[in-house]
Amino acid sequence: MKFCVCIKQVPDVTAPIQVRDGALVMDAGRVVLNAYDASAVEAALVLTEQHGGEVEVVLVGPERATETIRKALAMGAHRGTHLVVDEGTPLDSHAVSALLARHFEGAGCDVILTGKQAQDTDAGLAGGMLAERLGLPYATNAVGLALEGDTVVVTRQGDTGQEVIALPTPCLVTCSNDMNDPRIPNLRGVMQAKSKPLASERVAEVPAPRVRVLGYEPLPQRAPGVRLDGEPAEQAAEVVRRLAEEARVI
Amino acid sequence: MPTILSYVAVQNGKPTRSSLEALSRAREVARARGADLAAAVLAPDAAAHADELGRYGAATVYAVSDPIFRSHLNTPVLAGLEAVIARAQPEAVVFPSTEGVKDVLGALAVRTAAAVLPDVARFEVAGDGAVEALRPVMAAKFLARVRAEGKPVLVSVRAGSYEASEAPAEARVEAVPFAFDEGSLRQTLREVVSSAAGAVDLSDARVVVAAGRGVKDAEGKRLVEELAGVLGAAIGASRAVVESGMFPATAQIGQTGKVVSPDLYVGVGISGAIQHVAGMANSRVIVAVNQNPDAPIFDVATYGIVGDLYKVLPPLIEAIKQRKGTS
Amino acid sequence: MDERFDCIIVGGGIAGLSAAMALARADARFLLIERGEWSGAKNVSGGVLWGTDLARLVPNYWEDPEPGWERYVGRRRLTFMDERSAFSLDFASAHFAETPYTGLTVLRSRFDRWLAGKVEEAVAQSAVADASFLAQNILVEEVLMEDGRAVGIRAGEERFFADCVILAEGVNNLLTRQAGLQTAYVPAEGLAVGVKEVIRFDRKVLEDRFQLSEKSGMSNEFVGFATGGVEGGGFLYTNRDSVSVGLVLGMADLRAKGGTPYDLLNQFKAHPVVADQLRGGEVVEYSAKVVSTGDMRVMPKEVYADGLLVAGEAANLVLNAGRAIQGMDYAMRSGLLAAETVIEAKRAGDFSAGFLRNYRTALENSYVMQDLRGFQGAVAVLHDPAMFTSVPRLVCDFGRAFFTVDNRPTRKAYQILRDVRKAHMSYWDLVKLGARAARSL
Repeated sequence: MKFCVCIKQVPDVTAPIQVRDGALVMDAGRVVLNAYDASAVEAALVLTEQHGGEVEVVLVGPERATETIRKALAMGAHRGTHLVVDEGTPLDSHAVSALLARHFEGAGCDVILTGKQAQDTDAGLAGGMLAERLGLPYATNAVGLALEGDTVVVTRQGDTGQEVIALPTPCLVTCSNDMNDPRIPNLRGVMQAKSKPLASERVAEVPAPRVRVLGYEPLPQRAPGVRLDGEPAEQAAEVVRRLAEEARVI
Repeated sequence: MPTILSYVAVQNGKPTRSSLEALSRAREVARARGADLAAAVLAPDAAAHADELGRYGAATVYAVSDPIFRSHLNTPVLAGLEAVIARAQPEAVVFPSTEGVKDVLGALAVRTAAAVLPDVARFEVAGDGAVEALRPVMAAKFLARVRAEGKPVLVSVRAGSYEASEAPAEARVEAVPFAFDEGSLRQTLREVVSSAAGAVDLSDARVVVAAGRGVKDAEGKRLVEELAGVLGAAIGASRAVVESGMFPATAQIGQTGKVVSPDLYVGVGISGAIQHVAGMANSRVIVAVNQNPDAPIFDVATYGIVGDLYKVLPPLIEAIKQRKGTS
Repeated sequence: MDERFDCIIVGGGIAGLSAAMALARADARFLLIERGEWSGAKNVSGGVLWGTDLARLVPNYWEDPEPGWERYVGRRRLTFMDERSAFSLDFASAHFAETPYTGLTVLRSRFDRWLAGKVEEAVAQSAVADASFLAQNILVEEVLMEDGRAVGIRAGEERFFADCVILAEGVNNLLTRQAGLQTAYVPAEGLAVGVKEVIRFDRKVLEDRFQLSEKSGMSNEFVGFATGGVEGGGFLYTNRDSVSVGLVLGMADLRAKGGTPYDLLNQFKAHPVVADQLRGGEVVEYSAKVVSTGDMRVMPKEVYADGLLVAGEAANLVLNAGRAIQGMDYAMRSGLLAAETVIEAKRAGDFSAGFLRNYRTALENSYVMQDLRGFQGAVAVLHDPAMFTSVPRLVCDFGRAFFTVDNRPTRKAYQILRDVRKAHMSYWDLVKLGARAARSL
């Protein structure tokens, strides 16, 4: 079975980031493999280890995002495809899913996996968009994934419980990071990654994005809080008094 | 006259609170634009909700009734929404940002050639019909001001971003013909494992008590449950205690779990990692109980109690009981 | 794939990367293993890289459009502080603007990653591009020994073998100790705690406030009240759009006097003179780290063994002699020298302790060991309690009396000096300290 995992290089959201004049200011070098995508890669690797098959990772991004493909290859993916766009090219879910759909036409993937969203934008759209463009059945926010013959069994986290959904192949699944703990590449993985096939294709034309970012701003500040001191009983009495009389929530 | 369409998610036979919030906001936007406000309901008996939606100002209720909507499955929901949009021709469709909506939003955007702004904290429709919104990004550390042009524009609203408010109107029900052929489904729903049967759904709760790593054992869990009991709260949890198996995955609050915005959030033994805060910072009043005075949760807390939860919760539960008894 | 390497380097900091660069240039096959998620991830230092060795590693680095360093040091300042005053020696020179620069402010998380990128480029251009590797996020747990000589490393379940191993693991030199090159116990006297904050400014504000050009920067060391009477000193370096401000605190003295590094740092930042320089900045990072004080008594017994070389801070190659806090430059030079020895050893086919001794010799002949040996006296002087209590007070009292103009008869400088000296130190102590300082600096 052929698994194709769409991955993205994202800024490390735990790094210091400021907003200045409406733009995000951060260390451009601090980029990571999107954690949700890492879970998707892990899921694909586990399934191929159990059932055989191959894992290809596909990334849309600038030249320097190659290192993120190498990371996935070091985890154990077998080959990579880099759809190269210029640094700073505006991309939204619409554009990325269109580029990926073009790539997947006739690529013969049985299961396309991707993270349920990207850590930086938290949009969570590209997976569904890609499935729709390719006319594939899909499931999002998977917290469990299994193969039963040619059937993919997805456990997804829904609003009121976990929904167990069976999908025929080919299909697409977006993965939650609650599904697994992605493996950290070991030395052999890092070394093998260097010689694994990595196809690089320059994207000729990037579809115009439908959504434009006008600027960034800091979150509105919450009013500073109060610390309640004293013995536990005093603290408890005081917080309840304030909740009732000041905040009026109980 | 242009139409603003608001999608109403139904859970346990009732429109969710976040749907009513989105509908209320859609009404304000429609009023400002001189547009009609319509609601879309996909449910086994969708028309039954029309009166309630009328109270929130929906002039038209597009009712898509089919037993398949008893449980969530993206294919029929997509088909139902596609049918409503084709009929209503809205310039914007407003959704509550539920898991069910997240499941269909991307595909729906492609299918209806729409532009889409997911999970926004604020939005408005500009004079030219474009939608401008503020949405949290970078683990909810910042807001991005975004703009989408298209017809329609789909926008989903984070729970708690707007108040649900009534403005009664006479709702006209428009039943949308819908006959879903289950045989055409390529996906099958095998079962729904509901871990919180009957309990308050976290993202819709007015009061949330959330447990973190400080809750170490069965006794701690019992205290959390007792506190939630006296407050009438839903129980949430940090990733750590979900992973340890102490609390179910449906209880997880945060960037990857549920986004909650209750009137009162009580964090018990929660340190406040950014991923968790991303899911609760919108709460109106935040109480934090934590032993570590430097825990980041205190940066967002309205009331902070530095102390051992095992010592603080018992008198807290008592004090709440007394207060509720007297009022 | 023949998996035997010429050399395995443990640690992807400056020492390890410098060694790797030299090996790549010599077409040697190496495996560099860094425990952080990327080179620099585990490094909180924001400091100054002194000297010109970087130009050897990365020729014309100053022309890089995406430089890994922050600013060149074009202005240096040494400040004596008491509670409310600061007396500074300030030196700025156009000579500092000549390339190669002699001092660069760096933020290690950025610098190390940039340098790692340069090493990757050098590997790609080498004859053994597919046989040398930089691996991150992996912890080496053991140096594999065979018949008393290092033959490889173990990380988790994996074992890799090489003709020799360079330990460039930094101050937490567990493997160096494991190999028996350093006694397991390092006395607190030999260690210090470094605390640092990175405070972000608008670039224009920063340049105006510190009188910097687009590329020039300032390094400022502080003695006296900076550390609240605890042995050590303070520093303030300007980065591209931030300053690194922090303290280095002697661990033993800190323990004896109590107080947390964080509180002392806040006290330092609240000093009127420092606070004025930091006004309007936004703290974006706080970090703490154990560093070596440069006391040679805590150096490893040896920096080489059969199949083994130790470089950088793992070998305790650090010096704070009052003029500058040096360590990164020593790391760079020692990494280079270690790699050069490995290249010669490969040529000779001899990785025995007898041959690797050449590394020790090269180090001794370099400025690194000459300075380390030559300035031990200065290190001792700096550890003298008077240096962070009475001396800065004396200097500041003198400054206040000398620079204050009021409506009273003005005293001559020598009178002021005599009075402030009396107030703070015995004449004899001052003479002794002065003489020691003069000799050792």
